[in-house]
Amino acid sequence: MKRIVILLLCLLAAGTFLFAGGAKEEAVKPTITMTVPWAGPELEQFLPVVRAFEEKENVKVKCLTYRGEDLSAVLPAQFEAGQSLGDIIFLWDWWVKKNDQHAVDLTDIWAPVKSAYIPSPAEAGGKVVALPYVMVAKPGFWYRSSFFEKNGLKAPANWDEFTSLLKKIGGISGIKNPIVTGNGVGWPISDVTEHFLITFGGAELQNKLIDKSVKWTDPQVRKIFENRIIPLLKEGAFSDPVEWTQAIELWWGGEYGLYFMGNWITGMVEDAGDLGVFTLPGAKAMVTGQDWAFIPKYSENIDLAKKLFAFMISKEGATIRAKQGGKLVARNDISSSLYPKADQAVAEAVSKMETTVLDLDDSIGGDWQRLFWDQLKLLWVSPDSLDDVLKKLQAGL
Amino acid sequence: MERRLKHWGTGYIFIFPAVVLMAIFIVYPAVKTLFQSFFDAGGNWVGLKNFITVLTHYETIDLSRFPKKGPPWGSLINNAIWILIHLPVTVLLGMLFAVMLNKIKGGAFIKSVIFLGMVIPMIVGGVIIRFLFDENSGVVPLLMRTFGIEALDFTWTAYPQTALMSLILGSILLWTGFSLTMHAAGLSTIPREMYEAAEVDGAGILRKFFFITVPMLAPVTSVVIAMTLLYEIKIFDIVYAATLGGPGGSSMVLSLQMYFYAFRRLDFNLASAVATILTLFTLIVGIWLVRNTMRGEKR
Amino acid sequence: MKQIRIMPGRIAHYSLAWIVAVIWLVPFIGIFITSISPLKEIVHGWWGVKLSSISFKNFIGAWSHPTSPIGQGMLNSLIIAVPATIVPVFFASSAAYGILRYRFPLRKTIFLITLLLLAIPQAMVAVPLFQILKNLKLINSYLGLIIVHTAWGLPWIILFMRGFFSTLPREVEEAASIDGAGPFKTFFRIILPMSWPGLASVSSLQFTWVWNDFFLALIFIYNPVRMVATQRIPLLRGQYHVDWGILTAAALLITSVPLLVFILLQKYYVKGFIGMASK
Repeated sequence: MKRIVILLLCLLAAGTFLFAGGAKEEAVKPTITMTVPWAGPELEQFLPVVRAFEEKENVKVKCLTYRGEDLSAVLPAQFEAGQSLGDIIFLWDWWVKKNDQHAVDLTDIWAPVKSAYIPSPAEAGGKVVALPYVMVAKPGFWYRSSFFEKNGLKAPANWDEFTSLLKKIGGISGIKNPIVTGNGVGWPISDVTEHFLITFGGAELQNKLIDKSVKWTDPQVRKIFENRIIPLLKEGAFSDPVEWTQAIELWWGGEYGLYFMGNWITGMVEDAGDLGVFTLPGAKAMVTGQDWAFIPKYSENIDLAKKLFAFMISKEGATIRAKQGGKLVARNDISSSLYPKADQAVAEAVSKMETTVLDLDDSIGGDWQRLFWDQLKLLWVSPDSLDDVLKKLQAGL
Repeated sequence: MERRLKHWGTGYIFIFPAVVLMAIFIVYPAVKTLFQSFFDAGGNWVGLKNFITVLTHYETIDLSRFPKKGPPWGSLINNAIWILIHLPVTVLLGMLFAVMLNKIKGGAFIKSVIFLGMVIPMIVGGVIIRFLFDENSGVVPLLMRTFGIEALDFTWTAYPQTALMSLILGSILLWTGFSLTMHAAGLSTIPREMYEAAEVDGAGILRKFFFITVPMLAPVTSVVIAMTLLYEIKIFDIVYAATLGGPGGSSMVLSLQMYFYAFRRLDFNLASAVATILTLFTLIVGIWLVRNTMRGEKR
Repeated sequence: MKQIRIMPGRIAHYSLAWIVAVIWLVPFIGIFITSISPLKEIVHGWWGVKLSSISFKNFIGAWSHPTSPIGQGMLNSLIIAVPATIVPVFFASSAAYGILRYRFPLRKTIFLITLLLLAIPQAMVAVPLFQILKNLKLINSYLGLIIVHTAWGLPWIILFMRGFFSTLPREVEEAASIDGAGPFKTFFRIILPMSWPGLASVSSLQFTWVWNDFFLALIFIYNPVRMVATQRIPLLRGQYHVDWGILTAAALLITSVPLLVFILLQKYYVKGFIGMASK
């Protein structure tokens, strides 16, 4: 009996404590809730924009991290119930276009920035339903300049140089594998796979895979896997999948030579000045993506949300964002010298490409994306299952 | 007669809230799922088509790979393997540990430690498994390295050959506490005199174990088997947290498959078919458990 | 003389027992050490950590995580778990008592179906339940999840409490009814107070299970502000950033509550398990 009393007291104390903590968060100021796809350092880079707006308008902005794949599962039910997770929601443009009846028309905040913006907005049903915010690029394999210098390595100019670079890195003592494979839900593997597909099949192949006019079992696709990726996997050029943030530490610490990652890596290492990056030799296109956002009709603060969104894409807001690095802003009136050094390199790499393409699995989305990630994880550790993997990817579409 | 009606009425009032809640929130949805599994998304009767689709899909049973090639073999086969390994191991370990820890100093503490797996959230159990078998942070690959078993010195959850096994081993760690606790309680009900009598007859430890302990624990063991089977068939959280069914579906299980069908693909009818198959298995166990209970009732 | 002869066996016995204990403890120790260490030092395993660098800042980090605060999650879990323990325990006790003491028609059938419900997996009810709650506008609401947990807890609590009530002496009830107490008064004033050990058993288990639940919360709660503690674990190991220190600290924070219940109510807790099964 005594113990029950103790327990109840503990629960009571915990409850009061928790309630007190929760109550503190209740703000008197008007609050905008925004779901963003970023966490950790990526989020840190965005927050200055929010803080500037908060000060300007004397409001509170709450950022919640929410992944696209979770949102797409959650929102339909939410919207149907007339509720919304946030006043501004970051989610893929294709999803918003498909669900345009739930989005607020953003024509009025788009009009003033139209001339300065590089990408176009997402339009559906005669209205602007989603706007691109920042750009990410997946430029290629990152390395530490100091590591390359110390070992007399240089970025490759053709495929043979690439493979011999991998061999050289593999021979350096302390190196486990030349390239570290990032694991997580599975997207780092899909990013590097797409880079190979685009380099050897061109932007055209990527686009055809997205609109499903080329099959995964097509010889053209299979050949790229068979001739380029599989031999590397079999030689052990890639490591086993390692949790991708842990992989950064290990790669930075000199256990691996190269890491394929998007430009957000510049915000995640100790010294972005030591970063170098190269694409696979011959790549003429690069995956870039915008982080898109929209305002759902069920927001209780539509006007304020619009105001915040307008600020984010304004020159003032974009300048604050550019200085933080990690992402590129999509305005043409922002000088590249505003960016930190590593991000300038990314901006240059992007400008060297003939064209940019969309991310493959983000564009197809749905449960197939999960399948894609999961199957690639399998391929990475058992390269012999190639045909099986391709067959399942095609069947799952 | 009036007294009888009043007696009935009182009984009904006692059970009313519980029965209503169970009817609306368990029975009705379960029956509806059963119905939905025979219809397509447009509401047309399709007979067993959903079941055939599910059972012939490689995600459920992949006969092109099983048993000659390595995993992925499909969720149903994975569930079966889970049962084949996890059931005998946890039941036996629990029984042996119960005997081993019976009446030794610190036994209660060790029992509590093993029981921890039953106390923690299963989702945390999944995190523990990820951790245990991680090449860089895990104890298991470290042990393999130490003993020179290079072939197993990698992240177990990342490889199709080992992903399922790591989950099963992890779930043994989490679930043995149940079997142990039940058997320990059963042990305390065996009269001392039985052992004393056997000792007089010159029986050794093994004889006593097999001819007294095991048979006397049989009723407890059968309940443990039933509950363990239910746990294994329904397994979800630890797979979700540790591997999400991967890589390449090699650690997929029925509940997770149902979740993906229903809440990622939004294919409610196929999801209902998976759920119905799942329930078929649990009901077999359930009926067995009920018959056991009822038999105990009459005695 | 005899003592010495037994010694080797005893040593073997004790060492074996403690080896088993260590095997079961090591994973938890690993989680704990990771939670108090900086990521850099444990990329090659928690056993390599230097004791000088331990700190509890991961716990603070997890508690007030910017995107998935565990503190808020634990508050939500508590808001759900407390009523989702009290209500079903009360309703189920009443039903168990009714089934045990009153011989009304369909009594056996209802009890049988209740037993069978124990075997129904949550996956079997997930989709229609989602639709029901949607129609009732109870998605994303504490109340919705409380109701579902309540219904879900009933069958096993009924089974347990029925077993428990049957061990109570009938004379007390008979005496009460001779004194003129009605059936409900008897139940509330006599049966329930007499049954507190049983109620403690079912409450501690039901509370733990609701707290530990992941599947139902995953399906019915989407709003990040309302998410319960267990739901936040996979989100911490999200697509964008994985920090093992924060993740393990969060895991320990979430575990601390059921652990506390277990430590304080161990006797009742274990009896709950045993009582459910041994008839």
